Amino acid sequence: MHIAILAKVVPDYEVPTADFELTDGRAHSRYTRMIGLYDENAIEIGVQLKEAYGATLTIISYGKTQDVTVLRKAIAMGGDALHLVLGDADDPFVIAANLKMAIEQLGNVDLVLAGQQSADMDRGVVHSILAGMLDYPFLPQISTIKSEDGRWMVAQAHENGVRRLEFSGKGVLSITSSPKNVPRIPAVRSILAAKKKPVEKIDGIPGTAMPVAELSVEIPKMESVCEFLPLDDMAQTCKILLSKLREERYL
Amino acid sequence: MKTLIVEVIDAKRIGELVTVGRIFGDTPDIVALGSGDIPGNYNKAYCSDAAVGSNLIDGLVELIKKEGYELVLLSATTVGAEIAGPLSVRLGAPVLTEIIGAKSDMTVTRPIYGGKAMTTFKINQTPAILTVRRKYFESAIAEGTTTPVPLAGAAGAIRLVSEEAVKTEGIPLDDAEVIVSGGRGVGSGDKFTILRDLAGILNAAVGASRGAVDEGWAEPTMQIGQTGNIVAPSVYFAVGISGASQHLAGIANAKCVVAINKDEDANIFKRARFGIVEDYAKVVPALIQALQEEQ
Repeated sequence: MHIAILAKVVPDYEVPTADFELTDGRAHSRYTRMIGLYDENAIEIGVQLKEAYGATLTIISYGKTQDVTVLRKAIAMGGDALHLVLGDADDPFVIAANLKMAIEQLGNVDLVLAGQQSADMDRGVVHSILAGMLDYPFLPQISTIKSEDGRWMVAQAHENGVRRLEFSGKGVLSITSSPKNVPRIPAVRSILAAKKKPVEKIDGIPGTAMPVAELSVEIPKMESVCEFLPLDDMAQTCKILLSKLREERYL
Repeated sequence: MKTLIVEVIDAKRIGELVTVGRIFGDTPDIVALGSGDIPGNYNKAYCSDAAVGSNLIDGLVELIKKEGYELVLLSATTVGAEIAGPLSVRLGAPVLTEIIGAKSDMTVTRPIYGGKAMTTFKINQTPAILTVRRKYFESAIAEGTTTPVPLAGAAGAIRLVSEEAVKTEGIPLDDAEVIVSGGRGVGSGDKFTILRDLAGILNAAVGASRGAVDEGWAEPTMQIGQTGNIVAPSVYFAVGISGASQHLAGIANAKCVVAINKDEDANIFKRARFGIVEDYAKVVPALIQALQEEQ
């Protein structure tokens, strides 16, 4: 069983809104770089499959050479190999075409996992475009995966609850966070070992971008209008709050 | 512009997509997932019993090519996520997700960086595919119903084994005018009880941040935020919620946010109309008491 896990290095997604700045329409380069919001959940599920079925995990990323330092965390968590396709495109079709190339070079991938969405462009669509390009079935918002009699049995976090779905053969799954796939914290020994792992760097391909033009990127104005209520007497504070909510017709 | 909606049979979800469709042209046609009549009047209406959007791709590709649809609209929900990407590849169509603004000149706006920035795109080619973030467009009022004809080609590789719907206690988040929502600051799943008590008195729904859901304190269906429920209540009580941008993206259309958090530097206060910097364990019981005294 060979599982490819897509991981993207993104700017710190916990930077508060008030401190966020753009440079040339993208997050300022001073922000710490980290593995995408849900990608670590995908890596965790991959590691669980490795533990259950002896799967081999190849981490695949599209980005720059300096991303390797960040991506080594994926190896420390349990990944077996790291393949980085070099490129800096923002277009989802171009990124998916590059990831497809890397997966086809591996040749024997059974399942592709990816975080539900990155924490930069927030498209949540690169993995499903990749599925279309590979002609694999695609399922989003998966929280658990099992392999039974050659079939994949997965749980999908749906708006109304949980769906159990099954399919055979290859597939692309996007992973959502759940209490069952909270990313493990790598041991110091694993972190040190990950630093020594060779990284396969692959030259990217140009690909064909979507016919859309990005006209503008702006930070919306958010003026803080918070009225802090007094704390001397909590019973009185709550009465004031309810009164104000009614005065302003919110309640 | 000839537009097709693909959506489950849900009057509000369909209504929001009809509103977006009318920005670009006439009332769209529709492919509805599910059975029965579809709320609203449509020139052409199709239905599919495909349990999974992924199994619908072949049928949709055939229909879109045959009818010459220029725009396909889906909601930014599970079914939208299942269909949008693979369909875009099959049609060679651009795809833009989670749009929150649209103009008739084919420009659309969508958030990036967890809503910390907004991007505007011009679509230069049709067909194009858009997924629409919920609660950003008024739901068109559905007049009458339309009886659909079955859409061919719904066979697929994925089989639905079972579906466990989570029963919502009290008011559903989607309909709630008031929401009481808890985050990691609440401390444990047991302590959500007091939030439910408050919600009961306020006739409110109970929500949770991603952190609280990841801790297992609340059901995933209760999650509010960019990757959970998008809500638009009149009042949103954020209890022990720090206010990560991904959470704020889910409450962008709340009219009034009341933040209760003992950390005065919590980001949630920047979005709040009213703030109480105190341990929620002191505030919420006092709020319940105040409401009970009013009754």
